[in-house]
Amino acid sequence: MEIKRIAVLGAGVMGHGIAQVCAQAGYEVNLRDVKDEFVQSGISKIRKFLGGSVEKQRMTKDEADAVAGRINGMTDLKEAVKDVDLVIEAIVEDINIKKDMYKELDQICRPDTIFASNTSAQSITEMAMVTKRPDKFLGMHWFNPAQLMRGIEVVVHEKTSKETRDTIVDLCKKLGKEPGVCQDSPGFVVNRLLQIWYNEGLNMYDEGIAEPKDIDTALKVAYNFRMGPFELRDLVGLDIGIASTTTHYRELMREQFRPPRCLIMKVKAGDLGRKTGRGFYEYKSGN
Amino acid sequence: MKIGAVSIIGEGELADKLKELLGKTNLKVLVADLKGEYTKQVTEADLVLEAAPEDLAVKMKIFKSCDAKCGKEAILATTTSNPWVTQLARATKRPDKVIGLNFTRNPFEEKYLVQVVKGLQTSDETVQSVMELLKTAGITAVKLEETPGFILDRVIASIVNEAAVMYSSKLATKEDIDNMMKVCVNWPMGPFEFADTLGVDRVVEILESMSRQLGPKYQPCFLLQRMVDAGWLGKKTGRGFHVYS
Repeated sequence: MEIKRIAVLGAGVMGHGIAQVCAQAGYEVNLRDVKDEFVQSGISKIRKFLGGSVEKQRMTKDEADAVAGRINGMTDLKEAVKDVDLVIEAIVEDINIKKDMYKELDQICRPDTIFASNTSAQSITEMAMVTKRPDKFLGMHWFNPAQLMRGIEVVVHEKTSKETRDTIVDLCKKLGKEPGVCQDSPGFVVNRLLQIWYNEGLNMYDEGIAEPKDIDTALKVAYNFRMGPFELRDLVGLDIGIASTTTHYRELMREQFRPPRCLIMKVKAGDLGRKTGRGFYEYKSGN
Repeated sequence: MKIGAVSIIGEGELADKLKELLGKTNLKVLVADLKGEYTKQVTEADLVLEAAPEDLAVKMKIFKSCDAKCGKEAILATTTSNPWVTQLARATKRPDKVIGLNFTRNPFEEKYLVQVVKGLQTSDETVQSVMELLKTAGITAVKLEETPGFILDRVIASIVNEAAVMYSSKLATKEDIDNMMKVCVNWPMGPFEFADTLGVDRVVEILESMSRQLGPKYQPCFLLQRMVDAGWLGKKTGRGFHVYS
């Protein structure tokens, strides 16, 4: 099947970026969120990004206007998904809210519309099974910022059809992205491996082997990692970090994913990283 | 103590590289091969840097011999990537002056990182002296307590092991796993590229050492062991997870 029209549900951090990438590749996109202010906020972020691209001469003003013109903001769900070939869902990471959304979508979408969830934490299989079209259901996991990160995890489950998979792999390429196909499993591939990298760094600190600065420096200088595990934890936020580690630990049920003590204690102490001015490192305001 | 003269004991690539790195400073650098008695080269040294092959018995012998020949203030350092500092210290009468200086070459550019490894008895003063020396030589150094795999091998071996588990259970192809880590989260290499660069046999060795000393969660994935059995050790044998021509 060829994808022509796309609906992106959720105009937040991921949703607006996804809509922009699709529009830049020439697709007509309906960007939908529950409140008009969320939709407008997403669209203004897109315009700001496009404005920056024009300034850096990556595209002309006309091109930027054309991209923005292909994005139709709306709050009405029925209108947003009417006659689209693909729904990319990037709403709140709550399995029950997502399931309710998919039950509704299953009723109001064309029977051949493909559903792709941008979840990073929920089971693709579980969501697919609330619809009558599990063969047309998969994960399409983007990375932040969607406009710049090249990779997309295409997450298939036992009932995803080969045609659905091929259609989305092909779409990723048309969007200028690099797809990697993986089976539905907690954390998929990227976040699961990232947890090990984080945990092994943090475990060494817990064990009194080295300081965060030394561990981060070692990985950056010896192997060109752009950031060390402590720096990245601070950047993303320790509250988000502990939630992710805990999910992996609970679902994979292996020691490797046990949340490190230093992470638990920092979160309890309210030191959540850059956003609170202190995490594993101290940040002066303005950093 | 300020280090003015360094003696490197060893031969081959590592000894040559150490000589080149330290030779850029105002230090007096002498190199002794493993054949001779190296008395002449070490008596004046403030720091002896042992760069012999990874054989504990050989290293023990060198440390014992240097302990007898060197001035009593001299620091004795090993370049080993194994957690042998505390054991080597026992071969000497100066356990507080024995330390690990493990050099890792960045695979992308001509740059080195030194992991300064403290044994149980290494003094803060010894650590301080070598940190100053490395600063003078313009080499980035990090400090750590002795642990299997040190910082780098411990992190890399752990991610290789988990990636091998994922690949064995057919969650994704090895090519996709490698590529996704690079394009989704900007890793410099994928886990299997790291394995092939380090050597699959070395990864298994590190994991076994970690598993013995830190717990069973580090036990090497069966696939890694089978690859060692098959002789698929990585770039050095032309085939590891990937094939190299």
